[in-house]
Amino acid sequence: MTRIILVALAALFALTAVAQPADPSYPLLEKAYEALRQSDYERAVSAFEQAVKLAPDRPSIRKDLAYTLIKIGENTRARDQFAEAMRLDPADEHVALEYAFLCYETKQEVTARRVFFKYKAVNSTAAEAFENIDRPLRDGIARWQQALAASPENFSGHEELARLAEQRDDIALAAIHYERAWRLRPTRRDLLLDLGRAWRQQERAEDAFSALLAVSRGAEPRIAEQARELLGSRYPYVYEFEKALELDPPNTGLRRELAFLQLQLQQNIQAEKQFATVLERDPDDLFVVAQLGLLKLARGDTRGAMPLLNRVLASDNEELADRVRKALEKPQTLRGRVEEPRQNISNEARELAAKSIEKGYLQDAIKYLNTAVENDPVDFASMLKLGWTYNQLQNDRDAVRWFKMASASPDSKTSKEATRAYRNLAPQFERLRTTVWAFPMFSTRWHDLFFYSQVKTEWRTSNGWFRPYVSLRFIGDTRGVTQAAPSLAPQFYSEQSAIPALGIATKTWHGASGWLEAGEAVRFRQSPGDPTRGKPDYRGGITYAKSFGESSLLAETNDDLVYVHRFNRDTLFYSQNRLGYKGSRAQVFWNFGVTTDFKREHWANYAEIGPGVRFRVGSLPFLFSVNALRGVHLDGTGAFHDLRIGLWYAFTR
Amino acid sequence: MARVHSTIFVLDFGMHSPDRRCGPFALAAALLCCSAYLSAAPRFQYHVLGEEPGSWPEILSSIGLLDGPTASAAVIVAPRGIDLPAAEWLERVSRGTILVVEGDSPLANTLGFKATGQPRTPVQSVEDLRAPQLRIVWEKSVDLPTFQVPRDAKVFARERYQRTPLLAGYRKGAGAVLWIATSPGAQGYERFPYIAQALADLGLEPPFHSARLWAFFDSAYRSRVDLDFFAARWRASGISALHVAAWHFWERDPQNDEYLKKLIDACHRHAILVYAWVEFPHVSEAFWNAYPQWREKTALLQDAQLDWRKLINLANPEAAAAASAGLRDLMTHFDWDGLNLAEMYFESLEGHDNPARFTPMNRDIRAEFNNSNGFDPMELFDIQSPKYWPGNTPGLMQFLDYRRELARRMQDRWIGEAEAIRKTKPHLDIALTHIDDRFDSSVRDKLGADTSRVLPLLKEHDFTFLIEDPATIWNLGPKRYPQIAARYAMETPAQEKLAIDINIVERYQDVYPTKQQTGTELFQLVHKAAASFPRVALYFENSIARTDQEWLPSAAAAVERAEQVNGKLVVHAKRGIGLPWQGPLLVDGVPWPISSGTVAWLPAGTHVIEAGTEAPRIRVLGINGEITSARIAADATEFAYYSSARALVMLDGTPGRLEIDGMETVPLMAGKVLILPRGRHLVRIGNVTMSSFTPSPSIQSGR
Repeated sequence: MTRIILVALAALFALTAVAQPADPSYPLLEKAYEALRQSDYERAVSAFEQAVKLAPDRPSIRKDLAYTLIKIGENTRARDQFAEAMRLDPADEHVALEYAFLCYETKQEVTARRVFFKYKAVNSTAAEAFENIDRPLRDGIARWQQALAASPENFSGHEELARLAEQRDDIALAAIHYERAWRLRPTRRDLLLDLGRAWRQQERAEDAFSALLAVSRGAEPRIAEQARELLGSRYPYVYEFEKALELDPPNTGLRRELAFLQLQLQQNIQAEKQFATVLERDPDDLFVVAQLGLLKLARGDTRGAMPLLNRVLASDNEELADRVRKALEKPQTLRGRVEEPRQNISNEARELAAKSIEKGYLQDAIKYLNTAVENDPVDFASMLKLGWTYNQLQNDRDAVRWFKMASASPDSKTSKEATRAYRNLAPQFERLRTTVWAFPMFSTRWHDLFFYSQVKTEWRTSNGWFRPYVSLRFIGDTRGVTQAAPSLAPQFYSEQSAIPALGIATKTWHGASGWLEAGEAVRFRQSPGDPTRGKPDYRGGITYAKSFGESSLLAETNDDLVYVHRFNRDTLFYSQNRLGYKGSRAQVFWNFGVTTDFKREHWANYAEIGPGVRFRVGSLPFLFSVNALRGVHLDGTGAFHDLRIGLWYAFTR
Repeated sequence: MARVHSTIFVLDFGMHSPDRRCGPFALAAALLCCSAYLSAAPRFQYHVLGEEPGSWPEILSSIGLLDGPTASAAVIVAPRGIDLPAAEWLERVSRGTILVVEGDSPLANTLGFKATGQPRTPVQSVEDLRAPQLRIVWEKSVDLPTFQVPRDAKVFARERYQRTPLLAGYRKGAGAVLWIATSPGAQGYERFPYIAQALADLGLEPPFHSARLWAFFDSAYRSRVDLDFFAARWRASGISALHVAAWHFWERDPQNDEYLKKLIDACHRHAILVYAWVEFPHVSEAFWNAYPQWREKTALLQDAQLDWRKLINLANPEAAAAASAGLRDLMTHFDWDGLNLAEMYFESLEGHDNPARFTPMNRDIRAEFNNSNGFDPMELFDIQSPKYWPGNTPGLMQFLDYRRELARRMQDRWIGEAEAIRKTKPHLDIALTHIDDRFDSSVRDKLGADTSRVLPLLKEHDFTFLIEDPATIWNLGPKRYPQIAARYAMETPAQEKLAIDINIVERYQDVYPTKQQTGTELFQLVHKAAASFPRVALYFENSIARTDQEWLPSAAAAVERAEQVNGKLVVHAKRGIGLPWQGPLLVDGVPWPISSGTVAWLPAGTHVIEAGTEAPRIRVLGINGEITSARIAADATEFAYYSSARALVMLDGTPGRLEIDGMETVPLMAGKVLILPRGRHLVRIGNVTMSSFTPSPSIQSGR
């Protein structure tokens, strides 16, 4: 019977094909149907697949391919073809049901149930199939709920119930019982993975992240890998580690990693606490014993440190013991060295370096990476690692040197990464360093587009504290007439000037720096009230900029005390502060700003508050900002609303 | 033209022929064969160079290759650290050797596999390009250099995220090179599952064949397939019997019945036996729905629907009678070759720790136990009761012991039922699938399964005892099978009645590199099991990866020795095997009739094989049964066999005359398959005539 249908299909297709002689897939379909007539399914599949390539948008070919695949038991491939046919022809109910049946047969029961549900009101087959799937799920859920009522700590009851509920799309119920099952058997890390997945479906993003982070560390490799895939590539923040540990306190792998992260962030007290907890749970972890001992020693707790360090010294881990001896300023063990081929030494050094990096021993990593490069002078990968390791140790001078060497790698990936890092870090060590910034901004208060920018080249002197510079500022707007009041002189909001200047600035110290410059403000469009073309421009001030918080909390302040000679020798103070949340690509915050001056000018005395957002779009190098501000003049002369839309762009070379 | 197995052998061509008609033409033909052999003949030996072969012998022997000298090896492995003169080995490769090289070495470099200066990659997740969706995860990450491979090399496996090559190879001349980035691991399967498949892509052919595997079959996964296509595929995979989930066919339903009949017919046409596989106390979905009063109960007194099984209280006389009638109806309605009574004990692997899954707790059992022991076993699970099991070890032990005895009684009773059915269908084979409790003794208390009580039944009944290894030990390696076999050797003298069941399923344990056995791990399991037990069953047909099917017959061939002696091939095998062979042959000096033209089928034991000249008039292409002897007689083909079920014999024509044990018999045919009675018999098949053809009853009735 099947053959007759296939032959009929082939004949029908042949007739259709005659009417469409230009069809490039026709000869292949001929071949496919001929092969089908001979029950040569492999050949038919091959011909259908080629035909699909030539006519990828023809659902009928995909359907025939799928039916042929079913004949040879390739249900997963058949399902995928029906999925594509369904996408191409969403109105074809029959295809949708075939897809759903195959989903069911290929362990995608949830999808099958959803598709049948969609069609059950209009199609009796779908209704029956839905009921066939749903009824056992319903009954199973009821049965296990009943069992759990009699035996609430029944592990398999919770697990079964969670799985049935998830299959029935009752994610809330599934999450509850995955969690209960996992709490009963915390070693079943797969259940925590399931829980993370369920929470994610419930849009409990933070909880899901915690669960997945916990599974990704300290679970068996297959489960951990699945968790990592769900987590994505971003490295977690400290608070995310902490939250994951709240969920999964016994996870020593996770806690250990947090401790090393805190160590790198110089949060030694927190790190010590975590190491101590790890040690309580895993007393044989000698690395942690050593690290905890060294931390205690560093903060002067010799009594607490020595029992730990003595344990390490008494151990047979000579390498670790030597590190302790070094810290205690004791002579290190002399160990004979067997001559080894340089390549072997290099390989071994690379492996040790990788382990040291993994465990947070960056100084050791540098030692091993240097050994690797000594023994293999063209080991560009190790050079690149040296660059990054020095960078993490905040020794950018050495980092730059290694990045430059690694940039000569014949491997384009290594070379590209090293070049990029070199370009980012090198300017700070150049004698001359040029910074360019630009900030175009539209203000609804003034209905005007303002443009501020500066090109500044610093000369880095050998003493490092003072840096002479040459600067060219540009200040302008599109209308050129915006002013707060007709009486205002040069301190118009709206200027149309370029200001070349010479200046000197100090090195930044704890976020603060000072500067002084002398230049000439040259108007490129004359003002109605002031016909002069150029005016001397002397200005100077102190700048303080600082960000607080290490996690997603945004807290920053930018404060400037500026003396401007040509603004009637006025001294102005600007304080702009923001508090909010930050993500990898966007920040949402609340602005608090105050501007005031010594001369109590109307235009220079106001306070502003209001929400704002900064974000990046795609890979564009700009930072966009939108601020909706409510301002009041501090002299009581009125209030204003202002929506400012700006774009920030800067680079240093 | 005969393809033969060695140069010396070819020079002997014709010497053993009773008919010396071959003169200079034969010599020329032989020389031609010789040159053909050098590049194309299948070979069956491997050799690992150096003192430390690692796991290579385990890997290569799992697909049937045997350890042999370098000169005759088809596959030669140079583990890391072995340095070889490259020019000499390249020459060997071009003449037909498959050379396997490991890691970074001067030889690997010469062959084009070089470590680059790029960063080392920590490898833990692997993508095999023949199965990209398959998760291959190593237990421990290994830092490996980034290698570059020759442009014409085919990459078989790579690191999943960095995509650095890990397994690659290329053909060169008549041979090939296979490169592997690091050692395959201590067991041989924990890193690269598909080494055998890579070798096949590079030209290696299975060295031996067998057709003795049993496989479980569930029609739910094959409802719309072409059954003839599948039957041919199963046969090619070495499957001799299919154990079909019979609960789907318990009630008569025209559509279902039609499917089953087609399945049985297709299997018979391809010389595959078909057993009804029943899973008492699960009877069928409809039976469960129709008789709620007979449902088994758990210790929470819920109906015992556990996973897919819906258990029936077969201790209830009415339920047992209904099940018995149903079984008889099922067995007589279809042309089954056997009956497999599987897993006839209680739930669950969590034992009494989980009352929600613990059975049996039906009224009949509770009453019977109460009568003999003085308390209701439900009290063991009642926290308020003084009999509550945590404080009542003797009471719990009493019930668990009763439960084990109950399981034995059930098995005895249902084997008896099967034997009663066999009285009306004498060709029926019977198998009892029973979980092993020798390796993991905890299953005795958990499931009530106690082989020491069941094995004595082998003395009273004629059945095959199919040992299923419990889920609790699925994570242990293939070496468990010889150990299981050794334990059963102490338990029963009926060793030839034992079989082992390998569960090819996703395991719940932390296992590497794949959740479900595939590739080398599967081949090792099958190979070790086949060497340890007379019969190997696979659970189940649908879970065997397509890519593994080609190598299964070779993995299952229990060949212990094969070598060239004085130009003849001497093979010793524990059980019957197939040998790649083209053309006529002599076995132990006797013209041999059992050969498909590409594979010659040999009996168990030691045999001497050489080229023959005489082709049988009727060729036996293969036989589903144990051949004990065979020969080409003047006007007939003769062979003796043993089979616990009917023997199915594939012929290249229809027999003109058939004698069984000296009695002329009307041949019973299913297509070109001759159906012979179970037991031990001597068969003589006369010349082909197209007139004397009697179709089998199932064909006559149009089933």
